[in-house]
Amino acid sequence: MNTTINSLLSLFFLTALLIACQESNVEPLNPNDKNSVILEFDNRVGGQKMALGETTYRNASGEDFTVTRFNYFISNVALKNAEGTLVRFPEQYFLIRQADPATWEAELKDVPVADYTELTFTIGVDSARSASDISARTGVLDPASYGEDGMYWSWNSGYIFVKMEGTSPVIPLNSAGKRAFELHVGGYGGRAAVAPNNIRTVTLPMQKATVRKSLTPTVHVVADFLKVFNGPNTIKLAETYSVHNPAAAGPIADNYKNMFLVDHVHND
Amino acid sequence: MYITINRLASGMGFGPFPANSLMMFGLVVGLLSGCSPSDGPPPAEPLFEVPANFPAPTYDLSKNPITQEGFELGRALFYDPILSRDRTISCGECHSQSSGFTHHGHDVSHGIDDRKGTRNSMPVQNMAWESEFFWDGGVGDLDFVSIAPIENPVEMDEKTGNVLEKLRKSKSYPGKFKKAFGSEEITTERFLKALSQFMLTLVSADSRYDKFVRQEGEVFTTDERAGLTIFEQKCASCHAGALFTDGSYRNNGLPIQGVKDLGRYRITEQQTDRYRFRVPGLRNVAVTAPYMHDGRFYTLEAVLDHYERGVQKTENLDRLLQKNDRPGIPLSSEEKRQLIAFLHTLTDQSFLQDTRFAAP
Repeated sequence: MNTTINSLLSLFFLTALLIACQESNVEPLNPNDKNSVILEFDNRVGGQKMALGETTYRNASGEDFTVTRFNYFISNVALKNAEGTLVRFPEQYFLIRQADPATWEAELKDVPVADYTELTFTIGVDSARSASDISARTGVLDPASYGEDGMYWSWNSGYIFVKMEGTSPVIPLNSAGKRAFELHVGGYGGRAAVAPNNIRTVTLPMQKATVRKSLTPTVHVVADFLKVFNGPNTIKLAETYSVHNPAAAGPIADNYKNMFLVDHVHND
Repeated sequence: MYITINRLASGMGFGPFPANSLMMFGLVVGLLSGCSPSDGPPPAEPLFEVPANFPAPTYDLSKNPITQEGFELGRALFYDPILSRDRTISCGECHSQSSGFTHHGHDVSHGIDDRKGTRNSMPVQNMAWESEFFWDGGVGDLDFVSIAPIENPVEMDEKTGNVLEKLRKSKSYPGKFKKAFGSEEITTERFLKALSQFMLTLVSADSRYDKFVRQEGEVFTTDERAGLTIFEQKCASCHAGALFTDGSYRNNGLPIQGVKDLGRYRITEQQTDRYRFRVPGLRNVAVTAPYMHDGRFYTLEAVLDHYERGVQKTENLDRLLQKNDRPGIPLSSEEKRQLIAFLHTLTDQSFLQDTRFAAP
């Protein structure tokens, strides 16, 4: 009996070895192999790289503005493989902060080796995690981790999905003597009662991302901040410069849903 | 010391309970076994127990078991102004034990730099039975409650992350966290859960009313009994059950004044929630003046006068206040006097004076 098993095993390994030798240039697809995919978020304003606090940009309504803070959560990433199957990564949450280049490249871990052609993600934090136990609020979801960025509403318990702040000459002076805009988008639909839901999900086609044991592709995602003002809704800073409640933020979320695209993929 | 609670549903309502059911059914107390009643000091009181006339707690105690060390850490934090930006304001500042953990005499509280808020500080008691917190229910989990006053600019105006940093640098707290949680690591979760442990132990269930409904020999006066009857007829549909609240949000017809607080609407942004506020529980109500979300009424008499003749037909006025030809609750002077006599039976002196809950 043992001999039979041993011979079978030897045969199996020999075959495996042969196949491996034959395909020495292309790594075999072992479904148990995993690697990371880098999701690089490249924040731009129209045709320019976003520079916080320095450069003046102009939106579609002709309003000049600067950006002083731009942060957003990315969660529930899913990749569609060549067979059309959606592979989901529900436990990985990312906070992209324009002020911190280390956050621009989100490392999506434990991606099964395959070829992927479509990227899906949620802008914000899903409702289940938004209402989960404190023990599940670690890493970027730790409500005490944001410092001055304040990505958590303590009074209406939940995350600020996207925080956009800056200045514009079209905005009236505030009590601090600044012409500042604060567009804070949150709202996961409510815990027990119904409340506005600004969770938005984006699906983007992309050229093939090849994940292998030796290949960690980088998916270069461009986010165009101008789309915040110009999309299904026209947002004018002269009118909309202070948004701190979910209902008012809905039109903004409907706009920024369209600000992402996959520019290209590096398969190396 | 670990205390395990079996989540038993016990009766609500106002009916009497058998006297022996006081013996906290569904409760396993680990530490008491060694002590016999005849010798040595009396057994330590358990930190948390489900009173016989209370329903099962809402808070899941299995995820944050209350220990003596966790309770002591939570109490130290509750009374420590280190939680505020400039180390001047503690939780206990606006939640003082002798006033049912409210801010006695303040319509709205003075926070840091003497800044004033817009809402009356709520009692911190029987938190294990609350499902939503604050006048608008903006927080739905006790473990997240503490962040709100810490980060509110008119209360403690601090970042929770800064608080953790200050605690890590302090002489005493790393050791206290080690005692409570096994290591000196100070995390958001441990910090918030310790505060929850202290707040969970603040159970008020030993008022004369409680002893009356549990048939522990307490006798009500004629007025108190009459007041209870009126209360059951005219108040208990909202101030329902052993906690004296149905947990709902209602517009009780207060004249809209001052900051025109929209209440529950601030959280749900549903038009039907404008001017609705959480129905508060009434335990220790005689010592938690002033009343209403903005503390506009300084006496219970003023509250009852409002219900009798002050209710305004504002947007979303509660239907229960529109059952008669004019809004409000018909109450004679005699009935109001008796109701107030009854409300005083909800004062729980043993809770208000329990030295375990005082600043260490």
